[in-house]
Amino acid sequence: MSERRPYRRPVNPKWWWAPGAYRAYTLRELTGVGIALYGVVLFAGLISLSRGPDHWEGFVQFLRSPASIVLHVILLVVVAYHVKTWFEILPKTQPKIIVNGKQVPAQTITSYATLVAVACSAALVLFTFLVAR
Amino acid sequence: MSEAAALMKTVELRVLRYSPVTDEKPSFGSFQVPWTDDMSVLQALQTIKDTLDGTLSFRWSCRMAVCGSCGMMINGKPQLACNTFIRNLPKGPITVEPLNHFPIERDLVVSVDDFVKKIESVYPYIIPKKPKSVADGPYLQTPAQMVAYESFSDCINCMLCYAACPQFGENPEFIGPGAMAMLQRYNGDSRDGAQKLRLDLIHGEDGVWSCTAVGVCSDVCPKHVDPANAVNQNKTNSALDFFLRFLPGAAR
Repeated sequence: MSERRPYRRPVNPKWWWAPGAYRAYTLRELTGVGIALYGVVLFAGLISLSRGPDHWEGFVQFLRSPASIVLHVILLVVVAYHVKTWFEILPKTQPKIIVNGKQVPAQTITSYATLVAVACSAALVLFTFLVAR
Repeated sequence: MSEAAALMKTVELRVLRYSPVTDEKPSFGSFQVPWTDDMSVLQALQTIKDTLDGTLSFRWSCRMAVCGSCGMMINGKPQLACNTFIRNLPKGPITVEPLNHFPIERDLVVSVDDFVKKIESVYPYIIPKKPKSVADGPYLQTPAQMVAYESFSDCINCMLCYAACPQFGENPEFIGPGAMAMLQRYNGDSRDGAQKLRLDLIHGEDGVWSCTAVGVCSDVCPKHVDPANAVNQNKTNSALDFFLRFLPGAAR
């Protein structure tokens, strides 16, 4: 007679907050909510713009309020973390890139992609300043 | 007692024990083990088995991180016992448990049946596009074509990636990182022609879509196979396969 009686241990229900990589993962995913929130702010601006000058003025007043500034500072940190971790995970989500018969290291892909994102953002900020002048 | 023996340091190992015959559920047993700077956790377990408790069960074979037998949770992290040295662990007791997310057979031994079935299911061999006879010559491949899948062929089936994967813990039917690395090893091979056959296995929640890109599977891999890459690049393939069927003239 077999004496097998395999024991299945329960999964730790708090694995997503375990210190280290799991918590970093949870934070990365949570900051996605921050991105969506900022999308809502931008969308609200767009709607105010389409409704005419009065609505737009109200939106600008909201942007100048202390609550909005605090929100934007928090969202800036959240977005920065999301951008950083987004490009860290990027090499894991795409086929391997082979150049001259060698695999391009993950770190190189992350660095180049981050550089392009930072350059695009800087160009956009510069463009906005030039147009606003 | 010789002078050398008197100078020997000891370390406490807390080992999760389970006997299917006598125990209702697993519980920790504690052992004081003399150790030297060149001692691995595997050697510490062997010392326990040889000198303290002969009933302790664990798997091992090569002692050099190529056979993939001695994977276990060491201080809560999936690692190969032969490749983990006591001198590199924090001071204090060392906790040793069987690999997470697998049914425990006895002490540190877990069931591998389910994992082996998954490996078998992905057609882990080359299925040529067009079979050649010996007279036609070998299937040729350039070094660059080999690099495309080479890292995935380094997998030693140690299952550490499964123990690191919370989604496999939540859904044991999930094909998981190791089998996906095996699948990509063949789907990425220029000599292979069965990509579609394998792709059809991995749609849905039990295929690649249980993965949420936690990525710890790749962090714990002792062979730098990067199974997270194998899973996630096949999400793209699975999605493309799904949407391409709506194109006019698509053969399904």
